[in-house]
Amino acid sequence: MMFYLGLGGFALAGLLMLVCLVLTIWQLSHKQHEISTTVRFLTNLGFGLHTLSVLALLFMQVNQDYSNAYVVGVINPALPTYLRLTALWGGQAGSLFFWSWIINLCLVIALNRRHILRDNWGYLFALVNLIFFSGISMFLENPFSRVWQLTDRSLAESLFSPAAGATVYSGLIGRGLNPLLRHWGMIIHPPLLYIGFGAFLLPFAETLSHLVVKGDGDDLIAALRPWLLVAWIFLTAGIALGSWWSYDVLGWGGYWAWDPVETSSLIPWLVSTGLLHSMFLQQKKDIFKRINVILILSSYLLIIFSILMTRAGLISSVHAFGESSISIPLVVFLLVFLALSVALVVWRWQKMDSGWEFQSWFSRDSLFLYTLVILMAIALVCLWGLLYPLASRAFSGVEITLDRGFYDRAVTPLLVLLALLMAVCPLVGWSVASLKKLGERALIPLVVATLAAVAAWLWLSKSWVAVLSIFIVALGLAVLIATTVRDLRKVEKPLGTFWKMRSRYGAFLVHSGILLIMLGIVGVEGLSQSIQGTLVPGDKMPLGEFGVEFVELTENYESPEYLSVRAQIDLWRGDEIVARLTPGQDVYESRSQYVSIPGKRSTLAGDFYTIMLDYDAMMGYVSIQATINPLVNFMWIGSLFLCLGAAFSLSSPIVLEQAVRKEDEQSDAD
Amino acid sequence: MKKKPNYKLIIGAIVIVAALGYLLISATRSNTQYFMTVDELISQKSELEGQKLRMSGAVVGESIQYDPATLDLSFVVAQIPGDHRLIAEMGGMAKVLAEAVANPNAARMTIHYTGVKPDLLKDEAQAIVTGSLDAEGVFQATELLMKCPSKYESILPDQVED
Repeated sequence: MMFYLGLGGFALAGLLMLVCLVLTIWQLSHKQHEISTTVRFLTNLGFGLHTLSVLALLFMQVNQDYSNAYVVGVINPALPTYLRLTALWGGQAGSLFFWSWIINLCLVIALNRRHILRDNWGYLFALVNLIFFSGISMFLENPFSRVWQLTDRSLAESLFSPAAGATVYSGLIGRGLNPLLRHWGMIIHPPLLYIGFGAFLLPFAETLSHLVVKGDGDDLIAALRPWLLVAWIFLTAGIALGSWWSYDVLGWGGYWAWDPVETSSLIPWLVSTGLLHSMFLQQKKDIFKRINVILILSSYLLIIFSILMTRAGLISSVHAFGESSISIPLVVFLLVFLALSVALVVWRWQKMDSGWEFQSWFSRDSLFLYTLVILMAIALVCLWGLLYPLASRAFSGVEITLDRGFYDRAVTPLLVLLALLMAVCPLVGWSVASLKKLGERALIPLVVATLAAVAAWLWLSKSWVAVLSIFIVALGLAVLIATTVRDLRKVEKPLGTFWKMRSRYGAFLVHSGILLIMLGIVGVEGLSQSIQGTLVPGDKMPLGEFGVEFVELTENYESPEYLSVRAQIDLWRGDEIVARLTPGQDVYESRSQYVSIPGKRSTLAGDFYTIMLDYDAMMGYVSIQATINPLVNFMWIGSLFLCLGAAFSLSSPIVLEQAVRKEDEQSDAD
Repeated sequence: MKKKPNYKLIIGAIVIVAALGYLLISATRSNTQYFMTVDELISQKSELEGQKLRMSGAVVGESIQYDPATLDLSFVVAQIPGDHRLIAEMGGMAKVLAEAVANPNAARMTIHYTGVKPDLLKDEAQAIVTGSLDAEGVFQATELLMKCPSKYESILPDQVED
């Protein structure tokens, strides 16, 4: 029953998409640009059916309908209900289906809010994307496939009866979602990332449409800004949660490994971050039109590239879904839209000229440009790292990969430059910088940063890299705070001004978030200490000012699926116990797999992070690895700042900054 | 209308391209590693000794030895093809891994690693290992990455088990 509802709803939704496609093309061929009410209605109806189909699949998951092959793959009887629901994106077929629904959702929101997708062309481009991904889900990775038993008792997977005499078989009991994915970070990371990815489709479609219809680059950004910011927030949150998950679950305290899949989702983030900067300049000064168009188009194309990297099994990665039949259609699709984008940009190149000239090395325009260049350089490094193995395999037959040393070495200097730029930017006036003013404004932040660096040298680390990084981060933060205070002291109603200019202070918040993330990275990479040892009850192991005492080993059989083994550990600081840590393993006998569960004590100063490497219940000993990760939590706080800051900016139209700009120029002129 | 070239911009662009080019090339040179199969490693053993390599193979479960006190970990991997298309033709990664482990004639190599044993290291997992070959022909790993093909896909058994 649910099978027919699900598949039928999806098929009808697909049919409606095709009807809309034909209608739109027909209208365009008659020079009719406005999206007709019929198409709007059919799109909404199609979305309703698509949603119904998603609900049908969810119903099958929750009710454990093991005649469905996807359910067999991701569900088992012991799985709690919320995990049965989130298993929708726990496997290849389900997550592709979910992705097609997210695109449809974005399209419907855009269509009903009317400030974007105002033209049949924009609708057409978005629709083609929707049809493509729905088609892949329908024909190549259908989540409604059923399990069939043939007359010779063998099993097969198919939508409809694969041979005469075959019957639907629901006796296969699934093994459930991979234990590593049963963590709330992993539960919401994929949908956030998908929404971020999907939301970039509309700006992409709208920009292509703009190039076809008008092509002068004017008025494009104003309408797209909310979409781009929302997409960016979701993308940021998705990446940050993925990182937090790997720190919290994978048991080795890593937060970023330059894994190809991670790297490929970072590239659109870098490009769109550059876009947020250059589109600000277009709104303020009507420049950088070409760059903005190129950046919007490449953000979405790089998202498709990222999907290709994750799904097609081109590269070896922990995240990859394994080899799959969807790689060739995806490559073709990507190339077609890449060619279309390049052709349209080249065609409209002259018309989009904004007449900007490079004048001063040290104006705010130039500093924005440098920021953009550095972000693009990091994106290029990532892209190089991803494509190098593929290129080497194609040209020399041997696959040569680049390890994380490559990224560390190439990205670190660029990150340092970026942090420096963030420190300098708020100090520079709006058009041509006054160096004297700069010196005055930089004085207090420089003093603060020097103090921070001295403090770090005395108490944290003697490594000059760490001290220098802390200096730069402190400088950036001090400049942001000092500038905010300076701005607001000049005006009568500081709070009112703060609220009115939230696009400016939102950006400040985002910048301080980036600086805090860098602080966290310095902490983990430069300042962490670690020790491991085998302990019997009563043994104590020192690390820094702390001591780790193993009390006892506990075993818990409550879960039907796994045995939960925990080492009870007292964390000593001096003469007192400050925390009870319980690192351990959840042992899944049936899957012959175990999951390490770290035990940690988190404070702002850092994490005390322990994992149980091994245990022997008979002999009563455990092996424990303990690590101090100073400052690591600033990484998560910083990520939160990114999202909050962008949301704060989003709530405000951007023109209001004019007020500060005038005052800035006046005080520069004094 | 013809604009005169903006020399500042051109100089800037040249400096940026040169700096980025240097960064990419120097970082690439010092961090490349060949991705190889067990067969390729064994046949080119002498030339590859000491070089930074990356390899992939099927983990032979009974060979896993781990001493949590010293974090010494060693295990054997069996040859699997490096080409995804070939693997798909042979019936998918899970099948290829199982066959490689069961086949006594498949080329095998011992991996040695010092560090925490990965959760996913188990029989018939795919190990992707970074490191180098030592003089005895043992692969000294600096990084382990485990993949279980069953992770995401449902694998239907050929026959129903009664």
